[in-house]
Amino acid sequence: MNAVAPIAIRILAMLGLLLVNGVVLIYMLRKVLGRLHIRIGPNRVGPFGLLQTVADVVKLLTKEDLMPDSADKWLFWIAPFVVFVPSFLAYLPLAFGPNLAVTRLDTGLLFLLAVLSLIPIGVLMAGWASNSKWSLVGGMRAAGQQIAYEVPLLLSVLGPVMMAGSLDLSKIIEAQKNLWFVFPQFIAFIIYIIAAQADTQQTPFDMSEAESELITGFANEYGGMRFGFLFLAEFSNMFIVAALGTALFFGGWYLPFLADNPIALSLGPVIFIAKAYIGIFVMMWARGALPRIRVDQLLAFAWKALIPISLSWVVIWACIQRLVLVR
Amino acid sequence: MKIWGTGILKGFVITMRNWMRGPMTVQYPEQRLTLPERARWTVTQKFNEDGTTKCTGCLICEKECPDHIIRIEMSKLEDGTKHIDDYVYEVGACMMCGLCVAACPFDAIYMSHEYELATRHSADLSRVLLHDVDAYVKPKPKKEDEPDA
Repeated sequence: MNAVAPIAIRILAMLGLLLVNGVVLIYMLRKVLGRLHIRIGPNRVGPFGLLQTVADVVKLLTKEDLMPDSADKWLFWIAPFVVFVPSFLAYLPLAFGPNLAVTRLDTGLLFLLAVLSLIPIGVLMAGWASNSKWSLVGGMRAAGQQIAYEVPLLLSVLGPVMMAGSLDLSKIIEAQKNLWFVFPQFIAFIIYIIAAQADTQQTPFDMSEAESELITGFANEYGGMRFGFLFLAEFSNMFIVAALGTALFFGGWYLPFLADNPIALSLGPVIFIAKAYIGIFVMMWARGALPRIRVDQLLAFAWKALIPISLSWVVIWACIQRLVLVR
Repeated sequence: MKIWGTGILKGFVITMRNWMRGPMTVQYPEQRLTLPERARWTVTQKFNEDGTTKCTGCLICEKECPDHIIRIEMSKLEDGTKHIDDYVYEVGACMMCGLCVAACPFDAIYMSHEYELATRHSADLSRVLLHDVDAYVKPKPKKEDEPDA
């Protein structure tokens, strides 16, 4: 019992964070997009529309669980969980404060990226099992896009990893006590935000959903809480890439010039999550500002521009680090 | 010179400017826009100061209506004046063109600003504007005395 209880509490906290993130982010997305469109956004349910997402969740929970007749039953049933579980597991290595993480893995970053790369399988499963051409097109697009953009995503995190000399996210953050990695690694950071935006399928790269052409794409035939799971995973992925960006480039729980301040250190998790939410806000801002690009442009941009640039940046930074910084 | 990425930045600037402008939405049931003075909505009766109708039952509005939605049922009284049994107006089919108002020689109807026209029952879409009233008889102008020749 004593061995199980702390683990159970950690897992539950992780789940709680994921669910709260989902609820808050959906509300935030609607409000932010509303303001960017000169609208108000939800304002009817509860004060300032705060309970709108709760109402939506209740609606999703009480909806009938429909399955298309021609669907591949087993795959259709399991696909939302194949999408959901990796994005749940990705919270494991995130370090929110000096001593606050679900678990401390020496290869935390590798684990996180490996787990995130499982998501395309679930998305493709959902698209295939629905037995609808829109879903299938959406699923194929998602798979192609995520495989293409995972390469620059992985290459862009190598810069901070080289600087910190570790794959442990806590150690990477501790290495940024005096200098946030965004300054020396600015090119890697730009590549990271583009690849992260594409990897989580946010507009301008939401080819797999493409509301105007595919009508939510791979999630097309899903309803009720299965649809809820697919979207919860998407929003939680948004938080994960924002939190990862915070950890890799923006010094995690450290405030600039106050790195040794005990009060600032004790507020570490709050600072971390605030930074992640600022990152999410920028992602939503891009969503409100930019139109969706074409599929061929998207893939050409990944293979012809992002991957060569990120590869050469890795080589350049390795040379700089070896020849200039470490003599 | 074209610099790659300026369009993206421009998009960000425009959306942030929109954010700063604040919402321009009108929250309909609580806030309303004022209608322009000449907005045309339902056809409504005008009344004299003493509350009697201004309608003389001339049937010009009924004839003029392109949608045939005004129906006036009348009977003649013993003294030869007209009596309006029902002035029926089908709101649901009205296209608010205002031709009836333009045609009315006695200024007895006008286009009101009532625009919340949704109803729960289709029967409510047929309105009886006047029921069982005597038609207005315009007082004959007094004959002026013949001026002295």
